[in-house]
Amino acid sequence: MSDEVKDIIMSNIRKDVMLKTLETGKRYDGRAMDEFRPAEVHKGVIGTAEGSAIANIGETQVLASVKFDIMTPFPDRPTMGVFMTNSELLPLASPIFETGPPREDSIELARVVDRGIRSAEIIDLESFFIEEEKVLGLFIDLYVLNHAGNYTDTSMLAASAALTDTKVPKVEDGKIIRGEYKGPLELGPMPFSTTFVNVGGNWLVDPTRDEELVEDTVITIATTDKHVCSAQKGKGSLSKEELMANIDIAFNKGNEQRKIVQG
Amino acid sequence: MEKRIIMPGEKIAEGIVRVPNTYVEGDATYAAVIGTLDDSGKYIPLENRYRPSMGDVIVGMVTDVRHAGYEVDVNLPEGGFISTRVIKIKLEFGDFVICKVREVTETGDVELSEVRRLPKGKVVQFPTAKIPRLIGRKSSMIEMLKQYSGGDIVVGNNGMVWLSEKCDIPLLLKSMNMIDENAHTSGLTDRMKEFLEANGTRTVPEQIEEEHIDEGEMNG
Amino acid sequence: MAETEKLIIDGKRLDGRSPTDIRPLRIEAGVIPEADGSAFVEWGGNKIVCGVHGPRECIPRHGANPYQATLKCRYMMSPFASMEEHGRSGPSRRSTELSKVIREAFENVVLLERFPNTQIDIFIDVLQADGGTRTASVTAAAVALANAGIPMKDMVNSVAVGKADGVVISDLSKAEDNAGQSDMPLAFSHKDKKLLLFQMDGLLTREEVAKGLEMAEVSAGLVHEKQEAALKRIYEEGKKKFTL
Repeated sequence: MSDEVKDIIMSNIRKDVMLKTLETGKRYDGRAMDEFRPAEVHKGVIGTAEGSAIANIGETQVLASVKFDIMTPFPDRPTMGVFMTNSELLPLASPIFETGPPREDSIELARVVDRGIRSAEIIDLESFFIEEEKVLGLFIDLYVLNHAGNYTDTSMLAASAALTDTKVPKVEDGKIIRGEYKGPLELGPMPFSTTFVNVGGNWLVDPTRDEELVEDTVITIATTDKHVCSAQKGKGSLSKEELMANIDIAFNKGNEQRKIVQG
Repeated sequence: MEKRIIMPGEKIAEGIVRVPNTYVEGDATYAAVIGTLDDSGKYIPLENRYRPSMGDVIVGMVTDVRHAGYEVDVNLPEGGFISTRVIKIKLEFGDFVICKVREVTETGDVELSEVRRLPKGKVVQFPTAKIPRLIGRKSSMIEMLKQYSGGDIVVGNNGMVWLSEKCDIPLLLKSMNMIDENAHTSGLTDRMKEFLEANGTRTVPEQIEEEHIDEGEMNG
Repeated sequence: MAETEKLIIDGKRLDGRSPTDIRPLRIEAGVIPEADGSAFVEWGGNKIVCGVHGPRECIPRHGANPYQATLKCRYMMSPFASMEEHGRSGPSRRSTELSKVIREAFENVVLLERFPNTQIDIFIDVLQADGGTRTASVTAAAVALANAGIPMKDMVNSVAVGKADGVVISDLSKAEDNAGQSDMPLAFSHKDKKLLLFQMDGLLTREEVAKGLEMAEVSAGLVHEKQEAALKRIYEEGKKKFTL
């Protein structure tokens, strides 16, 4: 039997048992279907970065760091700064994370969070222009420190919190003066994401590891205060009605997270 | 009885005492893992990595079906093995089983026997050093959990705990979490009783036939 | 050549410490629930997290040793760990070397023979660096291994001693590491006081080495106290969410 077939069989066995609990209206950890685990953020945790934050959703924990460097702009956008997002699924964070070059899960995480921030257009990249061939580049690093399910929303939360913690460094003679700052990074309404999994017909918000292992469908929806700014469906499928219902929930959950970051 | 927490490398006895999670050097025995030591010299590990020994009760999951037998995930680096010679029924991939450790070879392979298949349920992991606490003195803790959960529970020495799908799984998971976090404290059985009375319903659970599981104790 | 800045003025170091003082040190154990054992160390401006997994299946299988566990160590510097530029991700020559000497320290104390055909992974991630990351890493790894219940002969503690402006000092800061005259990181087994990690660079007389070792023993003792307190705290105060 191939490993894929084994995974499917195990997933079905686990799902059968979970459905019995879901029928009672609760999940394994006692939550309602549309309930997030307790979330919190701590900003300014990395003194060597220009901005940073740790986000916890339940026991899942992600560190986001923001650092600036001088970069050359893209040739087709010579007056605009750049930003890029990188993620690491640290092997210490879970027995299933391996060492080695980034694989599809890590790459997807970085790109989904990046898209949320980029689409929300919250960073004024024009303000990063220094002089010809020199712009400020912003690096967001997402370090997953503990994987207890849904590192996607936790990463998005950490990234948004880290950006609100970020100070733009002083630039003199085309060089960054580390430790001296122009002022806080100006931002628009931050993006936050909500990840949904469907387990045997039940939509669950903010999945734990157990729930991820048996998901039939997974979709992440990122929202600002007024807009959907990014979406990513992983495995499975959903109807238009299900998508719209999830979008409504995502706006609510996004605003809850917004209060945590602003509070 | 005064108990203190000791670090790996601290002496637990003059002379040689062959107790798990210790090592002997010269004429004395030392702790190899963090544990408690009381005035009478009794050493109990607080954390450990499970090493199977003959006679241990194990909960596992069948991960491969072969002609000669079955490979079983028993939450160890090496899988367990059930030879077709020791089992009459046919097992399938994904079956949960309860069995005994027949032999542990030099290279760490675990051979299993006295195998019985478990019905549908969920298997969770529990720290092996705290398994005696989950079972309780004379099985008091585990029996209490069964009474309030509505289904059967089987605890393996290997840290795998099978919960019947008929159980109130959220209640059990929360209870096991509480026991894990408070394993080293006293009065835990009473506190768990209060918690279960407040949050569960006492029933007579459907029991599967099971053998006597080795008890142990960690605290009063 | 420009006059080099003094590192020690009137017997006091730039950060106000005496030659024998170590920087503020905070240790938390059991901070990564998904790891088998873990620790966080904040030492001066260093912030280091360590997670241990194992013993577990050896990957690749042909790398397994039939007589004992294979110990693996990965020390990594995060790209945001320094005040300067955003670094590159991934291993460097330096991180590869540090991974090796740290692993070799623990190969002395972990009871590997009890887990044949397995591997034990020590993952060290430096989130913020401020001089002495390898000694902070060893300090964290010892706590993580004990937290995991992986059998060891002894606890391991670590500190770097060295020389600046002709004075032998304990626990070099980043400035002292960069501009000082010698850096000698080391690690002891707590009970036997054997040297499990030992490196040095710069120039030291024989007497200076001896003095450094004496100083290191005292400092390492303080480190051990903090390691022990961190491990005990889980049982005395219960698990807490940690933050950097």
